[in-house]
Amino acid sequence: MNEQKRLLIVDDDPDYVEGIKGILDSAGYETDVAYNPKEGFEALKSRHYDMLLLDIMMGRGAEGVMMARKLRKDPDLREMPVLIITGIRDQIAYLFPGQPVHPGFFPVDELMEKPVEPDMLLERVRALIEAAEARKQQAK
Amino acid sequence: MSEDTAKILIIDDEEIVLDSCEEILDSGPYRLATARNGADGLRLLEEFQPDLVVVDLKMPGMSGFEVLEQVQKSQPTVVTIVITGYATVSSAVEAMKKGAYDFLPKPFTPEEFRLIIKRGAEKRALLLETIALKRERELLREHFASIVSHELKSPLGAIQQNIYALERELAERMTDDQARRCDRIKTRIGDLLNLINTWRRGATVDIDTIKENFGPVSIDVPITKAVESVMLHAQRKAIDITTAVPQPSGVVWGDEGTLTQTLVNIIGNAVKYSQCDTSVAVAADQVNGTVTVTVTDTGVGIAEDDLPFIFDTFYRARSGESTESGSGLGLAVSRRVIRAHGGGIEVRSTVGQGSTFIVTLPAYEGEPPEPLAAAGTTKSPQEGPG
Repeated sequence: MNEQKRLLIVDDDPDYVEGIKGILDSAGYETDVAYNPKEGFEALKSRHYDMLLLDIMMGRGAEGVMMARKLRKDPDLREMPVLIITGIRDQIAYLFPGQPVHPGFFPVDELMEKPVEPDMLLERVRALIEAAEARKQQAK
Repeated sequence: MSEDTAKILIIDDEEIVLDSCEEILDSGPYRLATARNGADGLRLLEEFQPDLVVVDLKMPGMSGFEVLEQVQKSQPTVVTIVITGYATVSSAVEAMKKGAYDFLPKPFTPEEFRLIIKRGAEKRALLLETIALKRERELLREHFASIVSHELKSPLGAIQQNIYALERELAERMTDDQARRCDRIKTRIGDLLNLINTWRRGATVDIDTIKENFGPVSIDVPITKAVESVMLHAQRKAIDITTAVPQPSGVVWGDEGTLTQTLVNIIGNAVKYSQCDTSVAVAADQVNGTVTVTVTDTGVGIAEDDLPFIFDTFYRARSGESTESGSGLGLAVSRRVIRAHGGGIEVRSTVGQGSTFIVTLPAYEGEPPEPLAAAGTTKSPQEGPG
């Protein structure tokens, strides 16, 4: 990695956050944390992040979905890769079998089920950031 | 209806009968509405929302039978009582066949009328209570599933996530023994998480709901998706999954998602109960209107004593040298899904040599097929609860 990548985790469960942050930190990522979508959105607005790791079930329901949608409407943030980390994957898989991602999300999103195995997490994070950078290059 | 006031609609063309009925019930805990003919009565059925309908069988215009039929059709939980002028048993019997709760031959005494109304109101209360209880049970079942999922799964998952992290952070400092114990912890928690997932799926597979989504499904699609889904697990054990699916493959009438889940379960079991460096064969075929999917492994096999029970809820075969644990739910759910598709599932197995699971489904040939005659006649006569 030529420069240190900065990631943002948005999840309301501090224990999960620590577990995921521990893995990302040990792999050399710079990670910030927000415990609700509002804080998360403010963080994204205040500085550059290479990627967002987003929980779905927060607060009173699927607030993560709302945050992802809001992001997609924001001209500065719409290209940001989002890794959705959720405990409800099998329900989604049930509704949309064989599709990696909820159709309400976007091609730059990926979805993983909690708990996330470290190797898989790091692999997805790396791939999503690379894909985002390739898109940026192409756009230029 | 409130506990103590039942709403009663009386339909009779004779004013004197209506008057007497009102008189008789006046002191009771009832609210009354009356109609002089069937049409007015049916209009009041909508407006007044009665608990009980008392209807005279013989009226000019719309007959009591017609009224009865309409009530049954639009408000099946309304309790109906017929008054029969011609005291013939046959017309009363016919009315009961059409769904009337009871009948009262004219002329009747006030006491007889009070009694039959009282019983009718009790019947209605029971009906409503049953419906409410059923609904509550459904809600409980669904809520329980989501409570289990959230309240158990989240903390367990958080623990697992931290063990993953700690394992990495401490990798350099852990002794082999500590690393091995760490591995065991991960495995045990992983088993628990799988158990919760499977259990919740079992509790939430609503057969009626999946039927709503039925459509033509080419059987190679769920097979391919299911094989993809268990591939990682198979690769870890160096198990080769071979597929033999003719092109075009058979088409069935069903729900792709649940069929995929079911095949994931069956193929996953084959992988789970196979030794490393073996293979699992998945094949599909269509013969005479029946699409068959077979999954064959050369794994530990299932003892003959266990065979009849493996599709039962929570049953887990004890015999055989099982190398991995299961929840005892997957096959029970799988069978429910396959039966909902009008098909069947059976197994042949020899301990030490492996098992073959055979799923049969009626082929789709342009219109929703009839269930297979042999549907459900598997080698497992006992049906698990739920």
